[in-house]
Amino acid sequence: MNDAAVRTLALAKHYEGGQIRALNGVTIDVPRGEVLCIMGPSGSGKSSFLHCVGALDVPTAGDVWLNGRSLAGERNLDAVRAREVGFIFQLHNLLPTLTSVENVEIPMMALGRGRANRRRRAEELLDLVGLGHRKHSIATKLSGGERQRVAIARALANEPALILADEPTGDVDSKTGEQIMETLLAVRKRTGATLILVTHNPRVAWDADRVMEMKDGQLRPLGTGADVRRSG
Amino acid sequence: MLIVKNLLRRKVRSFLSLMGIAIGVAAIVAFNAIGQGFKRGLDQYFNESGAQLLVVNKTVQDPAFSRVQKEEYDFVGALPGVAHVSITTFSLASPRGLKAQSFGMPAMPVYGRTPGDRMLDKFKGRVRGRVLEKDDEIMLGSITAENLKLEPGDTMQFFNRTFTVVGVHDSGVSFERIGAIVTNSVIQKQLGMGDASSVVFIYLKPGADWKDIKRAVEAQHPHLAAIRSDEFTVFYNQLDYIDWFVWIISLVSVMVGGLGILNTMLMSVSERTREIGTLRAVGWSRRRVLGLVLSEGTAISFAGGLVGLLAGWTGAEILIRWAPRDFLSTRYSPELFGVALLVAVALGFIGALYPAWQASRLSPIEALKYE
Repeated sequence: MNDAAVRTLALAKHYEGGQIRALNGVTIDVPRGEVLCIMGPSGSGKSSFLHCVGALDVPTAGDVWLNGRSLAGERNLDAVRAREVGFIFQLHNLLPTLTSVENVEIPMMALGRGRANRRRRAEELLDLVGLGHRKHSIATKLSGGERQRVAIARALANEPALILADEPTGDVDSKTGEQIMETLLAVRKRTGATLILVTHNPRVAWDADRVMEMKDGQLRPLGTGADVRRSG
Repeated sequence: MLIVKNLLRRKVRSFLSLMGIAIGVAAIVAFNAIGQGFKRGLDQYFNESGAQLLVVNKTVQDPAFSRVQKEEYDFVGALPGVAHVSITTFSLASPRGLKAQSFGMPAMPVYGRTPGDRMLDKFKGRVRGRVLEKDDEIMLGSITAENLKLEPGDTMQFFNRTFTVVGVHDSGVSFERIGAIVTNSVIQKQLGMGDASSVVFIYLKPGADWKDIKRAVEAQHPHLAAIRSDEFTVFYNQLDYIDWFVWIISLVSVMVGGLGILNTMLMSVSERTREIGTLRAVGWSRRRVLGLVLSEGTAISFAGGLVGLLAGWTGAEILIRWAPRDFLSTRYSPELFGVALLVAVALGFIGALYPAWQASRLSPIEALKYE
C-alpha cells in the first residue's frame, strides 16, 4: 500500500466498552529508518499505540501497516512480532534464570533457528551493545543498565525492521539512561531499523528525527529532536 | 535450556513433585513385581511336578476347593496317551507353636500326596530324612520345620492326630517350603472328601497329544477342565484380581503424583505470568508456550519415573526379604518397567495440560502488566 515502515490509519483503541478511549483515530506514516519519539503524560495512550503497532494488541478500529502489509488481515501476529518487530520494555523483562546470551536467543527460538546459529548471533549482538564480557552472567546479576542493553540486543535478535521501545530509560538513573540511549541509537544506525520510542523524558527525545506528543488519544507534532532541545 | 532452568528455579518444589511421581511408580513396580512373583510361585509348583496336564473341577472358584471324583480320574487314567495320573489334595493347618509365616498368619498349607507316587520323586535328594510312606507320617518344608523347630524323628499334632516327621525338604517352590506334606487319605478323611482328588496331575506317554486328552476329558465330564500345567495362572483368571488390585493401588498412588504435577505447574505458570508475556511479545506462539509447559511437566515425571523404577525395585527386594520370610518372590519384566515409566510420563503430561493451556491462553499485554 505504501513504502513507509509503519502506517496507521484512523487507529482507535477503546477499553471498558468504549468508556476509556486510549487512541482516538491516530493516522501517521513513519518512514523507514526514522527515529520517532512519542512523548506525553502517563495514560495518554502512548503504550496503547506501541502495542497496536507492534501487533501485541488488536485495535478497536482502524488499521496498521508494517512494511506495506496490513495487520488487519494478518492471522499470525506471533510471526509478525517474531520477524518484524523488536520490543524493548521499561522493565527490560529478561528471563531471570537465563544468562545474557540465553535471553538474547529467546526470540530466535520463535523462528526455529538452530542452537549454534542462535548462540553465534546472540554473542555478536552482545558484543555490539558492549556486553561481550557479560555473556554468561545470569540476568539477575546484571546492573539495571546492563539488563537494558541485553534487552536491546534481544530486540535486534531477528533483525527486525522496526524497534519499539517503551520508556527504555524509565527504570534507570539519568547517566545510565544516557548510556542506554547512546547504545540504542548506535545500533539503530548500524542496522538501519526504524525506531519508535515512547517516553515522558524530553532528554530522550533530543536525538529523534521527529517528536510527537500523544494527548487525548491523538498525535500532535512537536518538531525535531533538536527543536525539543532548543525549546528546553 | 529453558525447561531445565525453569524446573531448577524452585528446586524443593520440583523435587517434591518428582518424588510424588516416583512413589507412584515405585508402587507400580514393587506391587506388580511381587504379584508376578506370586504367580511364578504357582507356575513353579505345577511345572515342577513334571505333569503336562492338570484336571480340575472348573465349577469352583478356587482350585483348593476342586473335587474330581474317583471314577472321573480313573476315566482319565484309562485314556490312551495317559501314562500316569497323580491325585492330590490340599488343606490348611495351624499346629500349636507355629509362628506367623504365609501372609502373616500362623497357618501352613498341607499338601496330600500318595506314598510311592511320582509326585514325591522330586523330593528325593532334597530331603533330610526320607519321603513319607504311610499315614501319620509327615514331611515338612524347610521354613515350617525351622519355624516349629522340628527335625526328622520329632512328632507334632494337628487334625486331631499325631504325625511323625520323617523328612524335611528344601523344595524350590516357596509354597511348599512353608507347608507340609501328608498322605492324601489323611486330608480326604479330614475334609470328608471320600476318594476325591482336588487337582489331578496327568503325565502323558511320549508322543501323546495333550489336546486329544483335553477334548476327551471335557467331552465326557463337562464340569471338568483339562489345562496345561504351564497355563494354570492363565486359566484361573481370578488370579487376575491380584493384578487388578495391584494396579488400582498403584494407579491411585501415581495419580496423587499427577495431582502434584498439576499443582506445581499451576503455581509455576502463575509465578511466571510476566515471563510468559515476554515470550509471547517476542514472537513465541501459543503452541510453543504450550509445548514449554508440557515439556516441563513431562520432564519432572520422566525423572520421577526413573527414580520410581529404582525405588520400586529396591523396595520390593527389601520387602520380600523382610516380610513373610522367603515366601514372597519378585518377577520383573521390561514390560513392567516400560509401562510404569509410560504411566508416569503420561500422568505428567496430563497433569501439565491444564496449566499449559492456561499459559498459552495468556494475553501478552495482560501478562506483561502482571505484577
